Amino acid sequence: MSTLYEEIRELMAVYPEPRSATLPALRLAQEKHGWLSPEALREAAEGLGETPAYCMAVASFYDMFHLAPVGRHLVEVCTNVSCALVGAQQVLEAFERELGVRPGETTADGEVTLRTVECLGGCGWATIVALDHRYRTHVQPADVGAIVEELRADG
Amino acid sequence: MSAPENVTLTIDGRVVEVPKGTGLVETAAVAGIEIPVFCYEPRLGPPVGACRMCLVEVEGIPKLQAGCTLTAQEGMVVGTGATSEKAAEGQNATLEFILVNHPLDCPVCDKGGECPLQDLTFRYGPGQTRMTFPKRTLDKPIPISPTIALDRERCILCYRCTRFSESVAEDGQLVARNRGSMSMIATFEDEPYRDLFSGNVIELCPVGALTSTQYRFEARPWEIQNVPTICGLCPVGCNISATTREGKVKRILSRNHPEVDQGWLCDKGRFAYPHLYAEDRIATPLERVRRRGFGEISWDDGLDRAEALLRGAGGRIVTALSGSETIEEAYALGRLLRVGLGAHSAVLPEATSSALDAFRAPLSSIGHAEVVVVIGEERVADRAPIVGLWIKQARRNGGDVVELAEPKLDAELEQRLRSSDRAVLIWSGRAGGGGARLAELAHSLGFDGKPGCSAFHLPATPNGRGVAEAWAAAADRDEANPEPIGLLIVSGDEAAADPAVRALAEKAEHVLAITMYHGLAVGWADLVLPATSYLERDGSFVNLEGRVQRLRRSVIPPVPDELGWISKLAARFGVEISPHASLVFAELAETVYGGEASFGDVGERAPLPARAAYEPPEPRPVAPIPPPAAAPAEHFLGTLRLLRYRPLFSGPTVERVPELRFQRPAAEVELAAADAERRQIRNGDSVTVRSESILTLRARIDRRLPPGVARIAEEHARDLGTTVEVSRSSNPFTSAGGERA
Amino acid sequence: MAEQRLVVLQGADERDLTKLAEYRAIGGYDALAKARALTPQAVIDELLASNLRGRGGAFFATGRKWSFIPKPDQNPNPHYLVVNADESEPGSFKDNEILSRVPHRFIEGCLITAHAVESKHVFVYIRGEYLGPFEAVRDALEEIREDDQLLGGVTIVVHRGAGAYICGEETALLESLEGKRGQPRSKPPFPAISGLYASPTVVNNVETLATVPPIVAMGGAAYAKLGVESSTGTRVVSLSGNLVRGGNYEVAHGITLRELIYDLGGGVPDGRELKAVIPGGSSTVILTAEEIDVPYDYDALAEVGTAMGSAGVIAIDDRCCMVQLGIRVSEFYEHESCGKCTPCREGTRWMTAILRKLEAGEASDSELDLLLDVCDRINGKCLCPLGETAAMAVASYVLKFRDEFLAHLDGGCPFGSQSPLDGVVAPVNQHTQSPVAEVPA
Ligand SMILES: Cc1cc2nc3c(=O)[nH]c(=O)nc-3n(C[C@H](O)[C@H](O)[C@H](O)COP(=O)(O)O)c2cc1C
Ligand code: SF4
Ligand code: FES
Repeated sequence: MSTLYEEIRELMAVYPEPRSATLPALRLAQEKHGWLSPEALREAAEGLGETPAYCMAVASFYDMFHLAPVGRHLVEVCTNVSCALVGAQQVLEAFERELGVRPGETTADGEVTLRTVECLGGCGWATIVALDHRYRTHVQPADVGAIVEELRADG
Repeated sequence: MSAPENVTLTIDGRVVEVPKGTGLVETAAVAGIEIPVFCYEPRLGPPVGACRMCLVEVEGIPKLQAGCTLTAQEGMVVGTGATSEKAAEGQNATLEFILVNHPLDCPVCDKGGECPLQDLTFRYGPGQTRMTFPKRTLDKPIPISPTIALDRERCILCYRCTRFSESVAEDGQLVARNRGSMSMIATFEDEPYRDLFSGNVIELCPVGALTSTQYRFEARPWEIQNVPTICGLCPVGCNISATTREGKVKRILSRNHPEVDQGWLCDKGRFAYPHLYAEDRIATPLERVRRRGFGEISWDDGLDRAEALLRGAGGRIVTALSGSETIEEAYALGRLLRVGLGAHSAVLPEATSSALDAFRAPLSSIGHAEVVVVIGEERVADRAPIVGLWIKQARRNGGDVVELAEPKLDAELEQRLRSSDRAVLIWSGRAGGGGARLAELAHSLGFDGKPGCSAFHLPATPNGRGVAEAWAAAADRDEANPEPIGLLIVSGDEAAADPAVRALAEKAEHVLAITMYHGLAVGWADLVLPATSYLERDGSFVNLEGRVQRLRRSVIPPVPDELGWISKLAARFGVEISPHASLVFAELAETVYGGEASFGDVGERAPLPARAAYEPPEPRPVAPIPPPAAAPAEHFLGTLRLLRYRPLFSGPTVERVPELRFQRPAAEVELAAADAERRQIRNGDSVTVRSESILTLRARIDRRLPPGVARIAEEHARDLGTTVEVSRSSNPFTSAGGERA
Repeated sequence: MAEQRLVVLQGADERDLTKLAEYRAIGGYDALAKARALTPQAVIDELLASNLRGRGGAFFATGRKWSFIPKPDQNPNPHYLVVNADESEPGSFKDNEILSRVPHRFIEGCLITAHAVESKHVFVYIRGEYLGPFEAVRDALEEIREDDQLLGGVTIVVHRGAGAYICGEETALLESLEGKRGQPRSKPPFPAISGLYASPTVVNNVETLATVPPIVAMGGAAYAKLGVESSTGTRVVSLSGNLVRGGNYEVAHGITLRELIYDLGGGVPDGRELKAVIPGGSSTVILTAEEIDVPYDYDALAEVGTAMGSAGVIAIDDRCCMVQLGIRVSEFYEHESCGKCTPCREGTRWMTAILRKLEAGEASDSELDLLLDVCDRINGKCLCPLGETAAMAVASYVLKFRDEFLAHLDGGCPFGSQSPLDGVVAPVNQHTQSPVAEVPA
């Protein structure tokens, strides 16, 4: 198995200028560490030949990078206009009840983080919920129980 | 290059003609019109158009434009806030948006009174606030280093500081984090902003968001005076203003000399001024009373004792100079000792060879070079930090920077240097005859006839060349070293701190030390005369370009300055020398500077003398440069050559400033990646460094270091020999180290 | 008027066009061969004849954009083709479907364009959330990689974003692709002169590129016959909001908004009334239910003061509170503002604050004017269009539904919890990953 350092070096070779590998490198570091901890940022920086501060500056610009710990699973409910118009808030509240956390929080067992996100680009199939980045379309509050069960069953 | 084409445009009804492509802010300035700006700062690279303070109306374009990103084009018709209602409304809007979240704590802000935000709000801003919701509140101020405080509430996100960090200092440490209205300036985690140049962000900040911890609450702008002088801590001689209040230096600011420093200062120059107020500063002459004890004596007695010591030595006198004396002081000392006493022997600081005058150019020329060759093992930033910035600029402008341990060029590089019109050689090492070898190299490459090609030597002391020239000018006789030494005169703190000088003192019958600090003199001198700092003296320094620059007294020293009492002492030996720097300079200028320069001519921004004709340097024994150790065979853990270096943040001045402690080098040994790997040493490991003595240091892997050397700061290398063995410290908690080999 | 999957999505309902063989079976990649037999200029001429205009939002003529690329002898730097697959405009999800269902047509478009602008390097910047579309494109590339002929020496790198709407703005996208924070650059220079790595760069939208193969296949002139004069060809329109049949519909320009909403979208469900329509993604000016007889084309929409934008049509029914809509839209732009320029960074936050006060019934009518004034002061002062369109969109809610805003001044929201936008939790209110006051020790 190759190390993060080596994988980042490979990514850098894909681009005419190595700095372009910053986003993919941060994604790799996040996958490896679960979130972009200071340690993860240091490792990414080492691979990229950038400073940890640079990596932190870039990472903090993008919503998909987590600079605080998150659960093993991510439930992201789109609450932008199109989804909200057809009841995204009710879907969100169903998740809150089911998981016992509020948006932005992680279940006590560290399994699931619930977030609201901006438009996921599935507006016509609202409400969109991304489960570990896989979209579920047309989600209704009534579907939420089964979704959470499925998620928890998935190791 | 063809001359740039001129264009004519109209701003606020005034017609201006400027070269095509001139920035609109500058173009307006030519017409006497101000376009207000926050983020715009041409020294930070291309304009970014972020703050929107500079909005102007351009005929034919419906939307307001950011003046800072526009360039002058033929026929353009521009209205600024002064004549265009739309532009004025835009500026007013920008200020209102900035102030929406600004704490308006001007009464307790260090920037108050010299704050562009205050000034522009006064001129262009909204009269009253329409903001009816709570302002964003943030913790304030937070130290981002021991020298810099950050107040995020005051920050207007002009990104000047982060652009400086990214594209001038290139340190990648001060960054913006988050997005949108949650954006903020930050360092990584709780790490301090540690860079040689960090303090520049204080001056760049157009509001009171980044302030100096040293200056905090020290003065209000109407109570201060700014004295234009130069920094005396390295051979660049950055132009500075010393801010004083009630006779004390309160801060150091840059005073942009575009050819020398471009308005940047290193943190040593900026933050070291508290050395003036160090606890162990000597205020009166001291005389040795018992073996190690000292007693204070009056100045009259001090001069009597000095006279007695001088007479007693009977000419067997050696003078060790620091290279931080003014040329006037060195000349006066030379007159006293050489003319008055026939004492010609001196330990002089390394002086830059005058042969380099044939390849003279302003430091700024480095920034536009196509190719820069840096020769030698000393880090440029440790000797002349600003030169390091100019080299970075060259690289950003597309120039190539080649680093060589030795002055050996391969054929390809030689060819490039020969054919280039913008090539620069920089000697950043010991040996080399003060750049004499470099001059020969430049000559051999045909640089003489090419004004864009230049060569610089980075000496170890701020005014080594000036001191040597002045000492030489004082009399024209050379004499062999006296044996035994009757009296050793130690002039200045650097000489006093120099182990070689101390070794000489062991051999001398008596020692007279001129120094600022108890810590440097007590214990080995018979007589100590208090010294002054470069911030307290009038006089001149010759910088590494050969530019004569003027030191102005910013504050009255607590002791008589050197020139004053040297003049008095000299009179006792029948030597007449003025106590006024201007008169001494006039005398000296006649012999050394062709009688043309006068003190007044040097001015606030000193000009660079013209190039001289090339004269081959006198052949002198050139100390051999130690060859780099051959890279050892793959599995052989040989010895490494010890590379001692004197870091920028070292020396008697820096040691007396607690805020700079964090900048001093860690107890580390730097290793090349290959050497470290062979020894199974990882970054941060504790390692044993062994020669005659043994030290434990932390390892740092430097991917740019050539293999075969171990680099250690002088203050940590102590008495290690020239070759060392480096190995991982055995750790009692893991099994013995050998098995993984 | 029925849906016409004529061009971009053509064949996707009948076959699985994610498979190379299927795509080839309907003549896939023939246009590429045809284009490569032509000179680059001839391909550009075809595009000029088609009058295709960019589908990313700015509606700039594609052929003209390509012709701005300097010839190799004018600028020796490599040329880049960068695909904007960042689709993040609320209401738009067309590129999602195009990438997922006709990835080969999209790739063919990239290769034809690369030929036209003499580029050997294509970067597809796809928003990080689009995992499915990413995989579809990756798999399609995997398939054609076995056929050297198809790629013809061109490398296509799919680069995933990481969640930032602003990276859809072309210069912010380039910054992000260079590994930086995605903040827009000031223009000029335009990407065609100095884009990716300061080299000549074409940035095009996914749909724009997926339209290129059919144009080459049928000829520019034939394509120009579709749609209406100012807006030729077809458009994949995303329908969402309070509609019976939300989804993407490829239609010829010129169909009316009413037809889109009622004939294709099936109208408003549950017997409720249509109240308003956002015609081109959330950054466009809103239309009232009375204004929807407008033809869906560039000029016609401009005439009623709005824009086609990214063709995301959001239908809003009569339960929705317009102040709450304002809050939700404003919060979005506040959250997505890159933070570079002052009016957008501070102004969007201020807009949200005033709207919240209004919604709570705590504002006075002077604050309603203040809101409009703040919008006005953002508009026309920003570095990029994000802040400006946000201000225009929110101002349009006030201007077109002023009575409703006035009704909020005393006593708060007349809709209460009946409005589906009531109390919606926006990401900007959840600070898990971006603590506001975080203090290094
Ligand atoms: C804030 C903002 C967001 C944008 N988002 C997108 C986007 O997600 N996708 C897109 O194709 N264009 C987007 N654009 C438009 C692009 O800047 C650019 O005009 C477009 O990619 C050009 O491609 P086209 O000519 O093929 O339309 C956005 C513009 C702005 C100002
Ligand atoms: S308008 Fe907004 S998104 Fe665009 S540059 Fe300004 S702050 Fe950034
Ligand atoms: S000075 Fe022009 S935008 Fe800041």
